[in-house]
Amino acid sequence: MAKTYDYLFKLLLIGDSGVGKTCILFRFSEDAFNTTFISTIGIDFKIRTIELDNKKIKLQIWDTAGQERFRTITTAYYRGAMGIMLVYDITQEKSFENIKNWIRNIEENASADVEKMLLGNKCELTDKRQVSKERGEQLAIEYGIKFMETSAKASINVEEAFLTLASDIKAKTEKRMEANNPPKGGHQLKPMDSRTKDSWLSRCSLL
Amino acid sequence: MDFQNRNNTANKFVCPSDRQLALRAKLKAGWSSSKTSEPLRPEEQEAIISVIRRNEEIEVAERQRVGRLVERVEKIKQHAVERGPNCCRLCGDTFGILRPQRILCEDCRQSVCTKCSVDINIRYHTSERSREIWLCRICSETREMWKKSGAWFFKGLPKYDMPRSASATPIPNPGPGSMAGDTRAVQSCHATPTRPARVKKLTIRVNDSSSSSSGHSEPEDEVDTGVGIGVGVVGGGMAKGIASTRLQREDSFRLRAYGSIRSFIDGGERKLSNSFFFNRQQSQRPSECPEYDSVSMSKLRRESSFLRRGSVSSSWSISDSSGSGSNNSGNSQTQSQYQQHQQQLQQHCRDPLLGWLEIAISYREAFHSLDCTMVRARDLPAMDAAGLADPYCKLNIITPEAHTKYTRWQRTKTVHKTRNPEFNETLQFVGVEPEELGNSLIYVALFDDDKYGHDFLGAAKVCLSTVHSTSQYRISVPLGVEDQYSNAAEMAQNWPNGKMLLSLCYNTKRRALVVNVKQCINLMAMDNNGSSDPFVKIQLKPDAHKNKKHKTSVKWRTLNPIYNEEFYFEASPHDLNKEMLILTVWDKDLGKSNDFLGSLQLGAQSKGERLQQWLDCIRLPDHFHEKWHCLAPDNPAH
Repeated sequence: MAKTYDYLFKLLLIGDSGVGKTCILFRFSEDAFNTTFISTIGIDFKIRTIELDNKKIKLQIWDTAGQERFRTITTAYYRGAMGIMLVYDITQEKSFENIKNWIRNIEENASADVEKMLLGNKCELTDKRQVSKERGEQLAIEYGIKFMETSAKASINVEEAFLTLASDIKAKTEKRMEANNPPKGGHQLKPMDSRTKDSWLSRCSLL
Repeated sequence: MDFQNRNNTANKFVCPSDRQLALRAKLKAGWSSSKTSEPLRPEEQEAIISVIRRNEEIEVAERQRVGRLVERVEKIKQHAVERGPNCCRLCGDTFGILRPQRILCEDCRQSVCTKCSVDINIRYHTSERSREIWLCRICSETREMWKKSGAWFFKGLPKYDMPRSASATPIPNPGPGSMAGDTRAVQSCHATPTRPARVKKLTIRVNDSSSSSSGHSEPEDEVDTGVGIGVGVVGGGMAKGIASTRLQREDSFRLRAYGSIRSFIDGGERKLSNSFFFNRQQSQRPSECPEYDSVSMSKLRRESSFLRRGSVSSSWSISDSSGSGSNNSGNSQTQSQYQQHQQQLQQHCRDPLLGWLEIAISYREAFHSLDCTMVRARDLPAMDAAGLADPYCKLNIITPEAHTKYTRWQRTKTVHKTRNPEFNETLQFVGVEPEELGNSLIYVALFDDDKYGHDFLGAAKVCLSTVHSTSQYRISVPLGVEDQYSNAAEMAQNWPNGKMLLSLCYNTKRRALVVNVKQCINLMAMDNNGSSDPFVKIQLKPDAHKNKKHKTSVKWRTLNPIYNEEFYFEASPHDLNKEMLILTVWDKDLGKSNDFLGSLQLGAQSKGERLQQWLDCIRLPDHFHEKWHCLAPDNPAH
């Protein structure tokens, strides 16, 4: 009530267990990192308000548990998300291969117009890397979504990832409103005529 | 591939090949791959429910925000005038030569003036070309509302709460194909598919809350169990059996009382006997059935012995110092007996009966020696959870000036695990003059022996004026409550390890046992400077909640430290009945290992005042129970 905002965007973080979804969210909301791995129980969310093009956008970011036994609970929150971040761990080949399964999960449970983004986390561990950046980019191009490599520990690209996703969602609002009302070329001349008449009449009035 | 597909289509009832079966196993598809996920634990359900509750607050705020957006659009619509095609739709100004110009709204195709219109730039991302369109204020605000409420994504307005309760009815548009009407219709059509999803979500929440309530029922059961155990405690010890057993006992007691009253009536002293017995009946404590039978039989025998030895009863009156009662006439004997009985009645009304003590006293004039034989005791109070005690006697002689004759009290051996001990021990007081016998008393105090302390069981006084040198004087006296002499006997106890003042409280809000170590006195000196640096370690064993050990701060150079420090042990009342609090006092030594000063244990296995404080703490939660305890010299291994 005290603080007002213009938009509320609901985002969702999904991916395998242990890839760093909660750490990414913690870095973005609290700007801190916790080395202790505590597995997320079911579902959690955090709130942060950003400013984009002079508009206040309140981001409600849902963090899901990657474990199989919480799948029923987490998929219930897919439909309410406007943007979904698919997270994998560059040091675990398996989590990258499972991105296909996660995308299929999105297609089954989420809205058709949801904005998606691929994140490869833990990019500071260069010596343990198993998935190259090119493979990540190739997969993102394949699905037509954006890609970023992040590090929640070293605070690399976390802020940029969320701002990019929010910006894409906000651009989608404008595009969607325009699509609802297709422009009609036949009426394009009327405002111009009105303006011309207005200027001419005001000149006569002056005389 | 085509051949295989055609083959499968033709033979749909053929058993799938091994390759297909392997593929299904890999994909976890087919009929036999349905696996049931394990149910969530109560703490996991609790965590998820708390997240759902947090989300509810955000959704409430969001609904109010969307409500304000909707209200704003409705307010603009209310002000629309709608006079006709030649007038502005919103403000009603007529268009003309000298009037404001007419502008068509892009969305609703209505005519509005320049003041009531908004021009916006629409940028096409593909062609990088912007186009300027005009919208009336209604359509402009509607577009903003759709953007900000998220309706653009969910294809319909979400739930919202209007700031006011009364919502204005929108004015119907006269235009046949107005865009605003179509927009509202589109909204209402799109609102329908979102409702099943929300209903589904509500269903999920209902299930979660029901599981939450089932999770909460278990702690309440534990609390009830603890309260039930506390109710069973009576007085200083634990009385066995339930209320119905007590009722049965009282009935049998009344039957025996009736029989006893009859025997007294046969004796000839009706009124005196009746009132005497009823008073004793009121002061009688409930006890176990087998012991009750033997006790009542012994009582009957004792009463008959009282009647038989009339001269013996004169020893009950302390103020009667004359020893020549037996020389009086029969009438005076009757009067003195009446007075003695009345004094007995007064004594019984005044003091609760703590048991009985049999004592035999003889005086050897040649040696100026008073020999007191502690024969036995009956019906002592119970001091531990098993309903038993470990009694012993302490004796001294009270002079006519109300002082103790000897600073050192004599003590019998301890008889263990009984409430009816047989001492059979003779203690000797040397240096007693014959003239002192007329005005002195023998004072006997009974205590419960325990390595952690002592507890008062009862006390008795015996007048020495009737003791003769020729024969042994044998008497059975009732035991009374504490007085100055029993306190003096208690102070004479030898407790070299000191004492500790401890305060216990069970905090139901935090579900924790609060231990407040207040102070210690008379600790042992362990340092060369004749002092100590004491601190206290506190531990709960066996600990169901994995509390860690606690320590107080170190008080340097003192044998009487004052701590006033509180410690919390997470526990449930049910667990406390099985756990024990262990406190050990240590002398802090820098560079060396600490010296042990004393220990104290409280729990369901304790005795006396330690058991009393522990059970009070469980029975009366949220109250502090404070008591002094003696420290034991042995160190519990831990």
